[in-house]
Amino acid sequence: MTETLSLDSICAPSEDVVAREIEGELIIVPLASGIGDMEDELYTLNETGKAIWGKLDGARTLAQIADELAQEYDAPVDAIARDVNGLVSELVQRKMVVVQ
Amino acid sequence: MSSDYVVVNGAGQKIPNAVFAELMAAVLARGAPFRFQASGWSMLPFICDGDVITLSPPPARLRLGDVAAFVNPYTDRLTVHRVIARQGAGYLIRGDNTPSQDGLISHAAILGCVTRVERRGRAMRLGLGPERLPIAVLSRCDWLIPGVARLYPLYRFLFKRCK
Repeated sequence: MTETLSLDSICAPSEDVVAREIEGELIIVPLASGIGDMEDELYTLNETGKAIWGKLDGARTLAQIADELAQEYDAPVDAIARDVNGLVSELVQRKMVVVQ
Repeated sequence: MSSDYVVVNGAGQKIPNAVFAELMAAVLARGAPFRFQASGWSMLPFICDGDVITLSPPPARLRLGDVAAFVNPYTDRLTVHRVIARQGAGYLIRGDNTPSQDGLISHAAILGCVTRVERRGRAMRLGLGPERLPIAVLSRCDWLIPGVARLYPLYRFLFKRCK
């Protein structure tokens, strides 16, 4: 089923991933069929992705996350909102994030 | 869909040992099994270079002959070797094909236990069942490597016949 994502959506990391920040990099291991399988794919997020991932707490909307990041990085909120929407859409598609 | 934000690391990509151990620990701490490709020959013939092994979270107490994954405190390297004796709250651990023991490893250092070995897609059971006990005893007495050296040609012959 395709999740409908908007800036009012509230998202959180899936229970089926293990994410660890190691040596400055956020590495995400999907637990495919409940197994952390290094024979499958691993994911790493870039700096932008890491900042967004850190705010996906299942409480804030994507719009709120974009506002906070715009303030923290002193950047236009529209551009940040596009980044947030782009990343979260991709993570939802990869089943690493769930829409609540 | 663009992948501007997410970098996919394909299977088989080399990951630094410490990072790999941390990921392993994180997955096992969640109670989930961890599957990866082994490298090296220190557990020959029971685990060979390229075998895919599955670890499960460790039980409260390891049994003699269990094959455990741990970060060796003496070398800082992720290691998968066999328990050859239990001493107090720790274990004497040694590779089946190594000339010396890894030393006394505390239970807290154990990340997981090997529960499955696959070689070219086939499950390899030898070394993980009840036979692990005599294997551990032979290893502790330094008789395993000479014994395996004598029996390995027969083992390989039987393995090929069973394929």
